[in-house]
Amino acid sequence: MTAPSPLPQARRRKKNPLPTVLGVLALVGLTGFLAFGNLGKSLEYFVTPTEYVQQRAELEGRPLRIGGLVKAVQYNPQTLDLRFDVTDGSATFPVQYTGAVSDLFKEDQGVVVRGEFQGETFHASELVVKHSEEYNVPQTQAELKDLLRQAD
Amino acid sequence: MLNLISFDASPLGALGQLSLLAALAFTLGGTWLAVVGGVKADARATEAARRAVWAVFALVSLSTLTLMAALLGDDFSVRYVAEHSMRASPTWIKVTSLWGALEGSILLWAWLLAGYAFILSLTLRRDALRPWALAAMYASLIFFVGICATVASPFTPLAQIPADGRGPNPALQNHWMMAVHPVLLYLGFVGLAVPFAYAVAALVTGRLSDHWVVVTRRWTLVAWAFLTAAIVAGGWWSYETLGWGGYWAWDPVENASFIPWLLATAFLHSIQIQERRGLMRSWNVWLIVLAYASTVLGTFLNRSGIVQSVHAFAGGPVGPVFLGFLAFLLVAGIGLAAWRAPHLRDDGDPPAALSREGAFLAGNWLFLVFAVMVLVGTLFPTIVEAVQGRRDTSVGPAFYNAFAIPLGLGLLLLMGVGPLLPWRRAEGQGLWRALWPLLLAGAGTAVLAYAFGIRGVGVLAAVGLSAYNVVGLALLTGRAWRAYRASGRGGMVSLVREQPRRYGAYLAHAGLVVMALGIAFSSAYRQDAQVTLNAGAAPVTLLHETLALESTRVEEKPYGQSAIARVRIDGVPFETRMNTYIQGGDTPFPAPAVRYGMWGDTYLVVTAFGEDGRWASVRLIESPLVSWIWWGTLIVVLGAGLTLVAPRRAPARAPALQVAPATD
Repeated sequence: MTAPSPLPQARRRKKNPLPTVLGVLALVGLTGFLAFGNLGKSLEYFVTPTEYVQQRAELEGRPLRIGGLVKAVQYNPQTLDLRFDVTDGSATFPVQYTGAVSDLFKEDQGVVVRGEFQGETFHASELVVKHSEEYNVPQTQAELKDLLRQAD
Repeated sequence: MLNLISFDASPLGALGQLSLLAALAFTLGGTWLAVVGGVKADARATEAARRAVWAVFALVSLSTLTLMAALLGDDFSVRYVAEHSMRASPTWIKVTSLWGALEGSILLWAWLLAGYAFILSLTLRRDALRPWALAAMYASLIFFVGICATVASPFTPLAQIPADGRGPNPALQNHWMMAVHPVLLYLGFVGLAVPFAYAVAALVTGRLSDHWVVVTRRWTLVAWAFLTAAIVAGGWWSYETLGWGGYWAWDPVENASFIPWLLATAFLHSIQIQERRGLMRSWNVWLIVLAYASTVLGTFLNRSGIVQSVHAFAGGPVGPVFLGFLAFLLVAGIGLAAWRAPHLRDDGDPPAALSREGAFLAGNWLFLVFAVMVLVGTLFPTIVEAVQGRRDTSVGPAFYNAFAIPLGLGLLLLMGVGPLLPWRRAEGQGLWRALWPLLLAGAGTAVLAYAFGIRGVGVLAAVGLSAYNVVGLALLTGRAWRAYRASGRGGMVSLVREQPRRYGAYLAHAGLVVMALGIAFSSAYRQDAQVTLNAGAAPVTLLHETLALESTRVEEKPYGQSAIARVRIDGVPFETRMNTYIQGGDTPFPAPAVRYGMWGDTYLVVTAFGEDGRWASVRLIESPLVSWIWWGTLIVVLGAGLTLVAPRRAPARAPALQVAPATD
């Protein structure tokens, strides 16, 4: 036994190590997740047909949203089978979609479709109309085109 | 901005605007008085600042009532009314238009903030915190009243008064929930301003009394309960109006309300460590500052348009002003905390890992990581846009689910073990004895669920953890009840009345278990199919149901029209509508028909109509246990309410309650 010191040392409050340790672990995990995780992969880009042509190598097989004008609509309401072309004037791609579309799906209308390219055909999983800032849906075709123009 | 007031053009607008300006004047004066009261310890100045709050509340109430009168009276000389309301709307829609667009919703925010400040002014103790809590509340009021009275005034008059207004956003006319959800949400958001004010006061004075803990916990709990109800109400709105059969999409708007919820939940747990052990003092202050800042961040993200596109940022002045306020909050909050945190000393040794405070702390980290990840996902597209120049990217739900599911399960795990652990330290053996029934129940239930054909790992884990939690809560309650009954003091009801806080927390946890099961099953086992039904044709079988189109019809309304399809599903009639509104152009808004069930909902949306009503395309969605989410939320909110009930004193040998010192 060692001799006791005459006075105990003034009690210094120890810094609590647990929060720091846990925090560091959590941050390391977070960073690892960001670095190796799927954030980059789960990013979904919005492109026009021309942009797709230019960046095909990078974008092929990715989830995309593609925006443009509707051409050559073929829709069978009984089978819910929809085919149309999406174009921005210089590039055109066929789009395939299964699901109901109301009769407002017309030629020359602006549209944004979500899905991915398989070869030359865009397989759409969803037809979307972009929200504007106040969550008003675009009311006219001019507004939709304006939305699309902003995006190219 | 120059043309804020014109009595000739718009008397109501001028009245509203003048009362806002007067409210702003009282706010500025009150701020000055509060700061003087704090710096010079001048009780008279503090008292004057306290009374100025009443004037602010009265004046902002007056302007809110004025806007309501303008909306109900179709006074289109007020620009906000002309742009967001119309004559033909039903009265309840006109009422909800008060918060249906930017300026009105900020006015609602300012009004609720003034209301909270008013209640605070009545409940504040006469202590050193008083002037500074008032001053911090005033700082928020300056921003919200100021922004209402200037850049985002709903009262600017119109030079040319239209015969009819443009009408409210169609998506907001579709469901009564829009009358409830925004108000609840703002009650939650704004409610966090009060604990923030207390935190600022504690930092400025360097005094964190026991009273601080009690009061901030209670206020945060109120705000948290509103926020919980609001988030789920928003989900329900989404479920009932958007026609996709889901309730959560990790949309930036949703995330913005979820981040403060996560931080407030973390705070509600870590504040108990401070209450019981005197630890984590500065941590708690940081958390509450961040929770309040995140409500402003959320509003900024939604109102500036920065999340969707950086370019919308330059569009309105409101975004930058919010950003400025956010920066102010963060700089002031972090600066204060960094300056004062060293003074907020903890009382004792650090929490042990195997103790209740250890479990709370681990939960805190999970909540914090969760909040940061949601924030990263929300902001990532904006960052990509700024760095790569790619516009309008978005992060898919897959990203969020990748961390939300494990983090959620981790929280369920801690939720079960936390209340079982004693404060300070658990011995290994004691822990095992407490934990084995829970683990056994969890594992057993998971095996049983597997035998019944559930294969999803996440769902199995959720089921197992739910059983583990329920058994834990039941054991704790049963044990306490037996001991209580043995002491001859009464039954279950009087036990709860003596400890409403504990049993309220248990109830809230049980509600969360119910919600977790609802979320797990409805997202994993949702089925979705589309078909076109023909009138007079043989019924179609879809998802084990038979569907037959009975009739279609169109109802004309002054504000638009409804196309209605009447479909029989297994003989039960469903009427599903597609609404179009005059402001909405051709865009249809589906109003699904939902048959709510204990074990699952049947959800039918009409997506297209044939000419002459010969056919209608419909989408049928079957999702199990969705209603558990709504019921679970009700239980959570009831539990939160129960924790706020004052405990009935134990009849025998209760020690006299010591009045906590006002300051320490």
